[in-house]
Amino acid sequence: MNSMIHVEDLTKEFKSYSSRSGLKGAFRDLLTRNYKIHRAVDSISLDVKPGEMIGYIGENGAGKSTTIKMLTGILTPTSGDVLINGMNPHKEREKFVKTIGVVFGQRSQLWWDIAVQESFRLLKKVYNVSDEDYNSHMAMVIEALDIAPLLDKPVRKLSLGQRMRCELAAALIHNPPLLFLDEPTIGLDVLVKLKIREFLKELNKQYNTTVMLTTHDLSDIEALCERVVMLDEGKIIYDGSLSQLKTSWGEGKQIQFHFKTPKTRDELIRSTGQQLVVWEPGENENTWTANVTNDEDIISQVIGEVVANHQILDLKILETSTEEIIRNIYEEGIIHG
Amino acid sequence: MNHLSIFVQYVGQYIKTRLTYRSDMVVEIMSDLLFQAVNLIFILVVFGHTNLLSGWSKDEIIFIYGFFLVPFALFSTFFNIWDFNERYIVKGELDRILTRPIHSLFQVILERMELESMFGVVTGLAVMFYAGSNLGLTISWYDPLLFILFVLGGALVYAGIFISLATISFWSDSRTDIMPMMYNIGNFGRYPVDIYNQIIRYVLTWILPFAFVGVYPAAFFLDKTEWYGYAYLTPVMGIFFFSLSIFLWNIGVTKYRGAGS
Repeated sequence: MNSMIHVEDLTKEFKSYSSRSGLKGAFRDLLTRNYKIHRAVDSISLDVKPGEMIGYIGENGAGKSTTIKMLTGILTPTSGDVLINGMNPHKEREKFVKTIGVVFGQRSQLWWDIAVQESFRLLKKVYNVSDEDYNSHMAMVIEALDIAPLLDKPVRKLSLGQRMRCELAAALIHNPPLLFLDEPTIGLDVLVKLKIREFLKELNKQYNTTVMLTTHDLSDIEALCERVVMLDEGKIIYDGSLSQLKTSWGEGKQIQFHFKTPKTRDELIRSTGQQLVVWEPGENENTWTANVTNDEDIISQVIGEVVANHQILDLKILETSTEEIIRNIYEEGIIHG
Repeated sequence: MNHLSIFVQYVGQYIKTRLTYRSDMVVEIMSDLLFQAVNLIFILVVFGHTNLLSGWSKDEIIFIYGFFLVPFALFSTFFNIWDFNERYIVKGELDRILTRPIHSLFQVILERMELESMFGVVTGLAVMFYAGSNLGLTISWYDPLLFILFVLGGALVYAGIFISLATISFWSDSRTDIMPMMYNIGNFGRYPVDIYNQIIRYVLTWILPFAFVGVYPAAFFLDKTEWYGYAYLTPVMGIFFFSLSIFLWNIGVTKYRGAGS
């Protein structure tokens, strides 16, 4: 078995005490405390192959960050096994972290007061990277992220987008085979997001870097990850390809017609039949929406029949967005298909 | 030797940043000097009322104070961990530390060092030479060597106590006022322990061994033969307490809960 990340029955529990209300409660708290055990991550198992880019998604508090922190050796698991790159993250921490890169979107790796290149130099020393490795590898990173003009500026003078690109470069100084990104695009504008995505793709292609990404921005995942792992209340509720998620959960497509003259439901059903389509009225009598299953033949058949019988001004095909799919999954809380 | 070269890199960066904020550095050195002067004046005021404190003269006590300043300067240069709880645990900065391939405590030390505090070594030596010449002390060839050994031992005692206190944060991240209190207790070690009662003396020797940062080693140079045994114990206590604190730290890190989600 040759996997980059191998996780089995990983569990993390946090013990917290709930305080009673009122002054009397406060005194009782002094004597006996009510402890509550909260399972942030509940026996998850996961295998990631080298070179995979996987998206790790879930609502706030679902346990994403806790998992990432256990995988990076920051937190010690309550139980379960983690084997990454053949190492146990919290047992051989110092040796292990040399083989991973970590970017926390909300926390800086760089030194605030010194120029970016000085930060890089310190990190190069910390990771004990040779000059040749550094020069050949970082030249590509600096070029691809377009940060050469920023290198001599102190970090505190950079904008968020500039800083984030530098953070990413800093996490890659030792060219790790595995990269963890915890909300790397939070608060960034579209252009910077695109640049970072392009860069990650390039990195994955060139060095076969394994990337594990958590984000709330599903367009990141659509652009980068073939595989999605979805977490809810500490449990994995979906682990598979993004396209499969879409076909099994995306509830068909919608075709929106804008007709020249007002139509009634009966008129439309007469032309398309009732088996394939469910018609829904739009904002006025001229617009109607046809809900169809996600099948190319059916879609073109329906469009053909409508266009043959009615004059239309405009037509739009809408796909259920990933965001909608995910919202559906969380609302219904079950997996089908 | 990788640790040494990393240390040198950090010092280089530190100096670079400090040179851009030169006025800060001057203010810091001045406030340190003022603090030391106030302590010295306190000793002089006490001796305005009496000539001997449990058989110790004014110059002897000043000498002890001067000695104390040297290990204390080393401690405050490298072990600025009094705000460890707030800075690293509550704000979660330890996350970052733990994703780097160097021992976590060593990184905290590197990030928090304040080289200006080394100036205390100079004042300490000056105070010692002043008091020493008043007392007519002579320097033997082995004195400088033992001095260095005792200073290192004393600094390690201090470091050991404060690191152990900082590790409490791994178990409970609520704020405590134990750090400033400990700084005050640390000052007790600057005076001869035989002026205190038995219990305090015992505590300062074996539980919070601050006496090994001031009186005990200084007594050696004052030729107080009855204290020699304690003086020689200084490096041993330093290594013991420091190792204990590292041990506690290493356990504590596995209990780290992280901040936020």
